Amino acid sequence: MVDIGAFTEAATQVFARGDVWLIVIAAALYGVFVGAIPGLTATMAVALFVPMAYWLDPIAAIAAIITMAACAIFAGDLPTVLLRIPGTPASAAYVDDAYAFTRRGEAQRVLRLGLVCSVIGGIFGAIAMMMLGGWLAQAAGWFSVTEYFWLFLIGLTCAVIVAEGPRSKAVLSLLLGLFFSTIGLSAAHQEPRFTLGIASLYSGISFIPAMIGLFGMSEVLLNLVDGAAPAKPRSPVAPALQRSTHSLALTLQEIGDRLRRRKMSTLRSGGIGVLIGMLPGAGCDIASWVAFAASRRMQQKAPTVTGDEGEVESQRRSLDSIGDATTANNASLAGSWIPALVFGIPGDSITAIVIGVLMMKNLTPGPQIFDEQLPLVYSIYLLFILANLVLLPVGLLAIRVSGTIVQIPKAVLFPLIVAFCVTGSYALNGSLFDVLTMLAMGILGFVLVRLQMPTAPVVLGIILGGPLEERLVQSLTAANGNIAGLVQRPLSIALATLFVVLVGSMLVESFRRRDRQAT
Amino acid sequence: MKHLFSERETFRHARVLYAAVVAVSCFVIGCGSNQEFPSRPLTLICPWSAGGGTDRIARQVAVQLEEELGVPVNVVNATGGGGVTGHSRGALASPDGYTLTLATVELNMLHHRGLSAIGPDDYQPLGLLNRDPAALFVHKRSDWHSLADVEAALAERAEPMNASGTAAGGIWHAALIGWVAQCGLPSESVNWISINGAAPSLQELMAGGIDLVCCSIPEARAMLDAGEIRCLGLMADERSPAAPDVPTFREQGDDWSLSSWRGVLCPRGVPPERVEVLEAAVDRLSRSPKFAEFMDSGGFQTSIADASEFTEFLSRSDRQFAETLGSPAFVQSQTAVVRPYFFPICLGILGLIFVVPACRSQAAVATEPSVAEESDGRSRWLRPVVVILAVIAFVATCETIGYVLATAALLWLLAIVFGATRRQIVGVTLLAAPLLYQLFARTLGVPLPWGWLGW
Repeated sequence: MVDIGAFTEAATQVFARGDVWLIVIAAALYGVFVGAIPGLTATMAVALFVPMAYWLDPIAAIAAIITMAACAIFAGDLPTVLLRIPGTPASAAYVDDAYAFTRRGEAQRVLRLGLVCSVIGGIFGAIAMMMLGGWLAQAAGWFSVTEYFWLFLIGLTCAVIVAEGPRSKAVLSLLLGLFFSTIGLSAAHQEPRFTLGIASLYSGISFIPAMIGLFGMSEVLLNLVDGAAPAKPRSPVAPALQRSTHSLALTLQEIGDRLRRRKMSTLRSGGIGVLIGMLPGAGCDIASWVAFAASRRMQQKAPTVTGDEGEVESQRRSLDSIGDATTANNASLAGSWIPALVFGIPGDSITAIVIGVLMMKNLTPGPQIFDEQLPLVYSIYLLFILANLVLLPVGLLAIRVSGTIVQIPKAVLFPLIVAFCVTGSYALNGSLFDVLTMLAMGILGFVLVRLQMPTAPVVLGIILGGPLEERLVQSLTAANGNIAGLVQRPLSIALATLFVVLVGSMLVESFRRRDRQAT
Repeated sequence: MKHLFSERETFRHARVLYAAVVAVSCFVIGCGSNQEFPSRPLTLICPWSAGGGTDRIARQVAVQLEEELGVPVNVVNATGGGGVTGHSRGALASPDGYTLTLATVELNMLHHRGLSAIGPDDYQPLGLLNRDPAALFVHKRSDWHSLADVEAALAERAEPMNASGTAAGGIWHAALIGWVAQCGLPSESVNWISINGAAPSLQELMAGGIDLVCCSIPEARAMLDAGEIRCLGLMADERSPAAPDVPTFREQGDDWSLSSWRGVLCPRGVPPERVEVLEAAVDRLSRSPKFAEFMDSGGFQTSIADASEFTEFLSRSDRQFAETLGSPAFVQSQTAVVRPYFFPICLGILGLIFVVPACRSQAAVATEPSVAEESDGRSRWLRPVVVILAVIAFVATCETIGYVLATAALLWLLAIVFGATRRQIVGVTLLAAPLLYQLFARTLGVPLPWGWLGW
């Protein structure tokens, strides 16, 4: 099945060229750097690289893109863990869980685990891509808009399931996010809604400034009103690495232990990552949410332990979920390449750019690329593995260096964070209106935290609201307005059933919880 | 090649240094009129997202313009609103010649549909680059092999046929409805499903959700070559060199053609001598073999026109769209099965259902107001307000005074608010602002606002 000649050619192309190694290492450093700055996403890292890709040959350009994306997605964990600001949307799922470790002075522990799980996820994704390749892409081809509608609903339900605190508040946060997504020119109708006549609002609320505001700016504001947030007193940002209680040996032991103990869940998270990555429009952020939720659900089946042991146990579970989420988000990167290569349909915004770069190099993605450009396809597989191996040392270095971030005094750090939030939200579209969006969302995040409402569902609502509404409207239009059109195909019935089961179990659980509280 | 590249680099560095000297001296002397154009990086606005066809052309144009003009050209993807955002920003940019727009056919359409006040009149055309005719695609397993088959099916079927290719009201929608009306068929016979983009529409065609896709040939290239879909006809006057087997609509007896276009424009009001420089540069790049090769390999149909021809083309095309988009057939096809406010209303209802339990759980966990909050409440609330006002002030002044000065001022104020020591305040203000500029503008290539200092 494997064409040995093509494989050897690919291997020499990838491993025997000094310039490819150099580019991969440079791209890794750049990726870590961009990913670690809140507001700069992996997509942005790749988009900014496109002009440079003109001067590189296809292998080098693809190598750079794969490496910077993998590294940026991992590096998004650095500010997530250290500052409670997700560096990339993919880290938003576990921001609170991870930050809890930093508050206990165990940032290194989470980061190293996240790094190893990222690498495992990335390699898992590469292997899945090799084995399933074209076959899996066909499965994604069965999905019509109706199936996507259900898939997005399931994704949103997962966001509510993983949110902390009362479910009703999480649902309200989510609805708020969904409402924000309806602002602007509706993609489904091409009609402006809730724009108040402001031209800049026609394009809606862009989610990256919104995310920077909700997670970055609000944190600064909350810190200014020091300790005033009632439920979660916000400690100063930097109790962390100085008295790091976790030695490298201990972490290694823990990681080894995890690998032995959680083989199945690693497989599950990797699988979730690859599958979600393959679906157009559902990128690593959703993979991360779903894997996190799945991990949580599995844990809830295990018996609960109380007391001191319970504390250790809950920490371990929290780590396990973070590990699963990081595995999934890196695995989804490879997954998103499958439909991109096979049909020229991008799995996420990064592969959308990749398709552009490939075409720029006179390579048209499509089924024929597997026949005519087999060495290139093999090179892409190998580059995924290489990129993830390079991520390990670069990531460890980054974790080391990141320690200095939290040692900077608050009075210097906070103005810098504000400047980063402002510049980062400006940078994406070069629009000052986005800076105002960021600020408004910062104020909103501040208010929400004080009302004890979770902020993460708001972000997910903003991201998924548009596609969700579009798919709903498209399904209904195709069925001429008949609601039954949502469950006409076997695949959509299956997904709808899954959705109903999820919501049902959630409702049953919250009723039970209320009963327990009452007694 | 390497040699050439490094020479270009040194050239660019010298240029940048020169530009800095000129900018600073102009600032000192208080003039800015007789500097050479262009003396600082240009911005090319692309109204569509990164990775798409327009973006690919924009990046090619940017690279070649950079060679022509000797200053960096940054592509900014100002996306959203079905093209409203990018086209408005390009037209409303300051008319100094430093902001260009790679406009698309939507410039001819948005104002007729009342979505934007911006139209071709707000722009100064520099050069037309490409025209891609619309084409009609069906699944390989479809029974239709020619336009006549589709026409017959449209006339016979009781149920409307599902079609897509772009969002409702977009260029391919106009193309299909225009043809249907031309054939004398009722516009209700086509049910246009609003799907954003050709790629997802084609996927929907593959998944069996729709029957017809109307988009351009390059957008469908991969699947067409793979034999997954079949092209029934091209809405052009002659066959496309990219797909010589595909017959035109005219060959099949339907006198109908419609294309999208892409061209470079700048806002109206740019000084004529600068327009001349830009026109010449765009003209040279569009006629270069390098550009032709790029367009060929991407499957784009090149259609070069200089500024005056382009101006004429724009107004002609504007009249055609006024007719098509204003026709009763198109207006009627715009009535949506699902109303625009359907989804927000659903959200509102759900919200009302969940407000009560949320408030109840709020009451359950609410803690009594802390004593600390009561005591020094006023000064504590003052600080976040100052931060918010500082950011607003930054937004208000940034474009005038420039990024570096505005950021320095912001950092200075914030450092005071956060109670930094005097040394920290000076350090943050003086070091961070230029470093941030260096990082974003130089390393990452973000076009930050320029101001008094030329930063």
